[in-house]
Amino acid sequence: MDIVAQTTSSHILTVLVLIGAVSGGCNRSIDILPPVPSGTETAAATIASTERVPLILDQARISQNGAPQNPSTELDRRLLGSLQSLNLFSHLSLAETAPPVADEKTIVAHLTIDDAVDSHPGEAAWKGVVIGTSMFLLAPVMELHYDYGTHLTLELERWDGTVKTYRSESSGTARYNLFSASPSMITELKGHVMEAGITDLMHQLVKDATFYNASSAPVTERTIHSVSVKAKRRGPAALSVSISAPVTSR
Amino acid sequence: MLLRALWLSLIAGAMTTPAQATESIAPQITVGTQEIGLSIGYLLPHRLTEDHTTKQQGVALMPSWMMTVTDPVGDSWYRGQVSLGAEVVYIQFQEPFLTHGVGFTPKIKYTFVAHDRIRPYAEFAGGPFWTDLAGKIPEESSQFNFILTAGFGCSYFFTPKLAVNVGYRFHHISNAGTQYPNLGLNSSMPFGGFLFYF
Repeated sequence: MDIVAQTTSSHILTVLVLIGAVSGGCNRSIDILPPVPSGTETAAATIASTERVPLILDQARISQNGAPQNPSTELDRRLLGSLQSLNLFSHLSLAETAPPVADEKTIVAHLTIDDAVDSHPGEAAWKGVVIGTSMFLLAPVMELHYDYGTHLTLELERWDGTVKTYRSESSGTARYNLFSASPSMITELKGHVMEAGITDLMHQLVKDATFYNASSAPVTERTIHSVSVKAKRRGPAALSVSISAPVTSR
Repeated sequence: MLLRALWLSLIAGAMTTPAQATESIAPQITVGTQEIGLSIGYLLPHRLTEDHTTKQQGVALMPSWMMTVTDPVGDSWYRGQVSLGAEVVYIQFQEPFLTHGVGFTPKIKYTFVAHDRIRPYAEFAGGPFWTDLAGKIPEESSQFNFILTAGFGCSYFFTPKLAVNVGYRFHHISNAGTQYPNLGLNSSMPFGGFLFYF
């Protein structure tokens, strides 16, 4: 009878240890710096509707670890959504769908995103060898890391050519065990980090709310950039660039 | 049956390729992308010393699972990703006796990603291996052994999620000196199979 009880309890113990090992091997967490504020109320501003002007967002320029990346319409729309929530502008649109109209008070926004990604390949390789050598028994205690950081630069150009520049930095680390890794984990990390950066930008922008009032500056001729390029001939290079504009201030 | 399934998947992949020719079918493999695969190979003997006399041969079946743990690293031809996982190795020895072997091997793989659809890789695996061939041959005395594998291969992606692969492996089977004689069995194995990513 005692032998049966001992056998049963040892089986239960084994099952519990296995469940603990498997569940321990599926842990993951995401740390974000700086932490995202719980609400966006502080980023709200009040401008009379007659004072609001439209904002046109140019296509965001994205780079990752210094290498240029394909543009992302989703990211453009995400920023537009955040700007919309500020209630600073009469309406928002993408430059590709609604280019700026001459003699109209509009704000043109340019966003530059510089991402830094580090998946710690060396660490993953040696930990992988250790985990494999242990026949995966060490998988629950060997933690892997994935770092993602982003540097956002938002330039808002007022109708009179004045430019305001806002910058924000945010970063995050995903800590996970081998069996809990998934592409969605990385997507979540990038989403949180980007949200922290955009929120920071919005907090900076809302402090300059009066700068974007329609009455803050008269309509002047917008900066005109003209570029003419000709086919290469045997003679001197036929590339001319001319810029005529009022002086812009930053 | 398995060969028929493999052929069907190859034909299905080939038929879907023209329709997707205008789209990029380069696989987007990131951290956390998993792959499952099935490879079939044939074991060919290497008698490295005069004491090795057995000409072991047979079919090998290798289902595998792997997890990608890094984004692509490097900027040149060696740009690639590290994957960790495990593989079950089943070998049906047809020579010198009809016997069987089965093993479980944790595995690490480095995949070169400089080319979009063609991805060479190098892999290393090792783990416990049981076979009833041991005891019937002069090289091995115990049924409990270890198998070490090192090899390389190349995957060709028909779609972003489906690839076929061919490659070569060197196998070493011995019991780590737990029982004698322990000369070990060495083999080459050309293999082919498919991989599914999710």
